[in-house]
Amino acid sequence: MTTVLAYLDPGSGSMILQIIAGGLAAVAVTAKLYWNRILRFLRIRKDEPETSKTDTAQGTDTA
Amino acid sequence: MGTMADTSALEPGSFRDPESRVFYAGDEVYRALSADGLGDFEALAATGLLDDPRLIGTRRADDVSALRGLLVHEPAGVLRHERIPFVSYPYEWTFSMLKDAALVQLDLLLAALEHDLVLKDSTPYNVQFRGATPQFVDIGSFERIREGEPWVGYRQFCMLYLYPLLLQSAKGVPFQPWLRGAIDGITPGQMRGLMSFRDRFRKGVFTNVFLHARLEKRYADRPDQVKQEVKRVFKKELFVANVRKMRKLVERQSWDPPEGVWTAYGERNSYTDDDAARKDAFVREVATSREWGLVWDIGANNGRYSRIAAEGARTVVAVDADQGPVELLYRDLRSEGDEKILTLTMNLADPSPGLGWRGLERRSMPERGTPDLVLALALIHHVAISANVPVKEFVDWLTSLRTALVIEFPTREDPMVKKLLAPKREGLHPDYELGFFERCLNEAFEVDRSERLESGTRVLYYARPKGR
Repeated sequence: MTTVLAYLDPGSGSMILQIIAGGLAAVAVTAKLYWNRILRFLRIRKDEPETSKTDTAQGTDTA
Repeated sequence: MGTMADTSALEPGSFRDPESRVFYAGDEVYRALSADGLGDFEALAATGLLDDPRLIGTRRADDVSALRGLLVHEPAGVLRHERIPFVSYPYEWTFSMLKDAALVQLDLLLAALEHDLVLKDSTPYNVQFRGATPQFVDIGSFERIREGEPWVGYRQFCMLYLYPLLLQSAKGVPFQPWLRGAIDGITPGQMRGLMSFRDRFRKGVFTNVFLHARLEKRYADRPDQVKQEVKRVFKKELFVANVRKMRKLVERQSWDPPEGVWTAYGERNSYTDDDAARKDAFVREVATSREWGLVWDIGANNGRYSRIAAEGARTVVAVDADQGPVELLYRDLRSEGDEKILTLTMNLADPSPGLGWRGLERRSMPERGTPDLVLALALIHHVAISANVPVKEFVDWLTSLRTALVIEFPTREDPMVKKLLAPKREGLHPDYELGFFERCLNEAFEVDRSERLESGTRVLYYARPKGR
């Protein structure tokens, strides 16, 4: 079993938080993609090439 | 530890990370690496990031004989670093300095992640300033990323960067005393206690403070279980997303000095223009009379004389107890790309002490480098009258620095002195008197020149320590 060996204690709660915060970010990005799709469907927004899915880091502030 | 006789010595503030340890030999700064540490360094070198100006200049220097006897194990590799002209600490920085250091920290972490490297910690003590330019000095902080590893330095980032910035940005409370009070910074639990109900609606506060504090409390006694679980689900994309999010949050934090400071910043000083011109000329003549190494401008205020001193000095440290003007000076110097004038905020009547393990991890200012020249302009009345330091003791302290000195003495008739004396009981500060001050100065210094300014209430002296 290899454990993460850091001289600094990352803090258990702090690690969990990163997953939750990241999880919220993922949800927000997914929601944003769907929202854009709805807007396009309703012809409120013009068609444009959809941004790549790997771009999870953008727009995370909406979380 | 090695013998005290030779000139090499371990840096007492560098022991926390067992993979890399800083030591000095003569004038040079070195870093000894373990086998793992060396592997990480080689990975870093391969990325080309070492040439980034945000990193301290570093190269391999393996044949260092000075190292013998300093370390328990023979190091796998040794690095030599460029020297930072004057070491400073976050509790001496202004708001924008800490913010800029935070951004350098995060940007380097993002750059490292692109190459599958991480920074193993997030402490502002790893950033130093060359003038107004922040530079990351802990090359040993870069390491190869491990599968499923979360952002290990996240908690430390909150405690030493985010919370201090938030405290000043959201609450208007200066962060410096908090960082000086605890070498590890503000804990999530403490920060939560400082936030009001309304604060949880501020961007980033709910997650990074309230939720963070709660989760920390809940999972405190289950570190093993959590570690396994986190490793299973954590992905690099999540890491990058969290760091980018933090960067945005830091970017949002802002603080401005009170309005009065802005006005005064432009036209401080109560003297007539003629006085100001003569004072400029006096300082300039001393500053350019020879090449000074390190100059301290204590009571630097808007930095007018620091700038003049910089014409003839390698490095100027501009210190003032009032964070406001220092912050504005830093912003100006930063936009000029200055690499000579280091701005710090510190109360001279309550200066930075030795802190940390054995009181040696962080040092007092004189221990970090004694100045060749000190400017103490429009300062002594504040120290003597406001802080009640006897005039003789102040001169004794200057004497102990064994430095040349440009000092200004405002007489009891000076409007500013009158203002400071006004609220005090009649007859206090009998030692604040021109004749007595001159006697004290003449005891320890050779006064080369003195000049009474036109208005008559201020006298300038250029003095050198006796016997030098």
